[in-house]
Amino acid sequence: MEKENKKGTMHPLSILANQAYEVFSDLGFEIATGPELESEWYNFDVLNVPKDHPARDMQDTFFIKDKKDYVLRTHTTSVTARAVEQAGKEGRIPCAFISIGKIFRNEATDATHEMQFYQIDGVMIGNISDGISIAHMKGVLTHFYKKMLGDEIEIEFRPSFFPFTEPSIEVFTKFKGKWLEMGGSGMLHPNVLRNLGLDPTKVQGFAFGHGFDRIAMVKWGISDVRFLYQGDLRLNQF
Amino acid sequence: MKISYNWLKSYIPETPDVDKLVDIFNYHLCEMESLENMPDSDVVFDIKVLPNRAHDLLSHRGIAQELSSLFNIPFVDPILECKVPESKSTKLKIEIKTDKCRRYAGRIIKNVKVSTSPEWMIKYLESIGQRSINNIVDASNIVMYGCGQPTHAFDLDKVDGEIIIRDAKDGEKMTTLDNKEVNFKSSNIVIADSKNTLAIAGIKGGKIAEVDNNTKNIILEVANFDSTSVRKTAQALNIFTDARKRYENDLSPELVTYAMKKLSALILEMCPEAIFEEIVDVYPKKQEIKKLSFSVDRISKILGLTVSANEIKDILKRYNFEFENNNGNFEIVVPSLRLDLTIEEDMAEEIGRILGYDKVKGKVPKINFQPKQNKMYAKILWARTKLLNDGYSEIMNSTFCNNGEVEVLASASDKKFLRTNLTDGLKESLKLNQLNAPLLGMNEIKIFEIGTVFKKDKEEMHVAYGDKKEIKEMSLDEFYKKAESDTFDQDLMLRNVDHLQKHTGAAFKMWSLFPFIARDVAVWVPEGVINEDVAKIIKENMGNMIIKGPELFDEFKKGNQISYAFRLVFQSFERTLTDQEVNDIMTQITNKIKDKKTNGVGWQVR
Repeated sequence: MEKENKKGTMHPLSILANQAYEVFSDLGFEIATGPELESEWYNFDVLNVPKDHPARDMQDTFFIKDKKDYVLRTHTTSVTARAVEQAGKEGRIPCAFISIGKIFRNEATDATHEMQFYQIDGVMIGNISDGISIAHMKGVLTHFYKKMLGDEIEIEFRPSFFPFTEPSIEVFTKFKGKWLEMGGSGMLHPNVLRNLGLDPTKVQGFAFGHGFDRIAMVKWGISDVRFLYQGDLRLNQF
Repeated sequence: MKISYNWLKSYIPETPDVDKLVDIFNYHLCEMESLENMPDSDVVFDIKVLPNRAHDLLSHRGIAQELSSLFNIPFVDPILECKVPESKSTKLKIEIKTDKCRRYAGRIIKNVKVSTSPEWMIKYLESIGQRSINNIVDASNIVMYGCGQPTHAFDLDKVDGEIIIRDAKDGEKMTTLDNKEVNFKSSNIVIADSKNTLAIAGIKGGKIAEVDNNTKNIILEVANFDSTSVRKTAQALNIFTDARKRYENDLSPELVTYAMKKLSALILEMCPEAIFEEIVDVYPKKQEIKKLSFSVDRISKILGLTVSANEIKDILKRYNFEFENNNGNFEIVVPSLRLDLTIEEDMAEEIGRILGYDKVKGKVPKINFQPKQNKMYAKILWARTKLLNDGYSEIMNSTFCNNGEVEVLASASDKKFLRTNLTDGLKESLKLNQLNAPLLGMNEIKIFEIGTVFKKDKEEMHVAYGDKKEIKEMSLDEFYKKAESDTFDQDLMLRNVDHLQKHTGAAFKMWSLFPFIARDVAVWVPEGVINEDVAKIIKENMGNMIIKGPELFDEFKKGNQISYAFRLVFQSFERTLTDQEVNDIMTQITNKIKDKKTNGVGWQVR
């Protein structure tokens, strides 16, 4: 009653996004945003996922009626890809971008799967002489997860495959004694760099795309991903 | 891909124990999704083979070769022990009429005896979840799960003339082995004889030339098809088979030779009376031998780890790569099955995963880059901060809804449209949260959402906010323009960021799924009694079903008395509470309050 006109409460994902952006801004990353309804070109082709290749099956994609060649973006890698392309045109290399945004997968929902969720996607590109490497990616991601989940967490890289990175790596964090899969990462594939108008003999860099809801769920112990998108204020506990 | 430990052992007799394999797979090869103990002390692993290694790892032999190199233990190729049948001359004719077939090897075997398979074969197949059918079909499957090459057998006596691999004709029909009628388009590839369609190339056999219990003579097919063509055809016909999975990921045509030898040997072992004819192998364009160059320096720069030429040499030897090394500049001959190795970066991955990425130590880079402000995000942050300060709470709703202007195809849900506004969702959300207002401790529900909406030709970032009286919605840009003229303090944004630091640490508390009951109690007390005194009595008597409260929501003075009003919210995590039990608690509370006196003046419940 004495708290008349009190402030509203924030959605947990917004709290976390602000924190994550703060961490990456401190590391010199620029925030990138982009469309949710994306062309197949930026969602797939640019990222070295050719048409009629089984790699397209790795994500369950929403295609659009009467809008050929468009999809609901399956990752925010499309956003950072656009940002890198633009930076290249403006001669802004080295560059680093970070994007947190909603992405979509056409799959049945349950406590750990939603048709929409958030992804955090980052990219850092330097000239060959800058030597941006997997070690740097490990440094950046370790720093990030320590800030998000606490200094006691550990981070681990395991081999994987994504068409847009080579080498490709799956990132795991150890939180409260358990190894958890956070998402994919790797060194940007030369074909991707070329598609973005860069010369892979002159630049190299890393990219990662991790589940953002996942971080929120782990951090606060939220048991069901669907709670995040039900418009229920009981979620705003933090 | 299911992999049997015992089957693996036939290639690598010195395989380490199962528990040692789990980490080797996960840290150096690919994810082990599960592991199951089977009869005969066998263990079956489910391995997630991703498209880059589907050329060689969708097979026991491929996995065994990897493990042999990773553990540096001997690999015994059972092909070397295969019996080679004596062959008679043949009249088999094979004609490839499409460039989508890269190689086709056929072999006639007469006088076979179709029967049950030997026990070891049945065990191997059953261990990886495959049903035994008969010795010929089983042999074909053993070869596929063994080395990754799909094969097929036709009943020779049901084949009319030669084997032709050709484009299908529009409208051509065939019945598959599992009795499915398929209609072809001219872009599909089929195996046919001079009269009939015998199989969908690389995908599924047809009924016409099926091997059954009366079959005496067969034609073996070991072939290689264009991966894209197989994928397109299978997608169009909606057929999923293990053969399709292997072909669509691309296989080396070189594998055909090995698979034909192996399949022939298996059949000879099971049918010693069989008469083998010569292999007819049509292989128009041999797979090129590829070389790949890379340098120690570049690999080290990609990994961010100093790798030595000797470490690389050791790896190349263990993997049986042919190579040359000139001062750390390596050139390898790419093994024919390793279609994934095409560029220097691929070798960085090979070296990285084999050494283990734990060797790579993290360091935070510094680059020369001046980040610019992202206008869209700045506006979002600004709008959110303003609405929070105005007492609105933030919600997020689904992008999907029942009607709209943009429709998604083949959705897994019944909500097939993308929202055109935020208002509809916000309305529902208001209803839900108003019901929960006592739980939330809010007198009035005020909420907002910032999110994308989709019109026919464009998407737009919107802001919507409202309470039970009205909801306002506009584009983020409009909101920003409109609010700019307000007294809103730009510094609030910065203060808001400071305030964020408080959000760490707390744990999510799940809400009860049972209904709650809210009750109020108002008390007259003499002046000088503070609300905490009243709250204390309530707390002592309210029991343990309180989810929220006692919360003071009203206070006023009249004469020398003060009125305090408290709200209590009852809720259980295990059951629905009854009115009666809550009434009993409230009676208990009121009785205790009525008993109280201050300076001789009694407390009264209003």
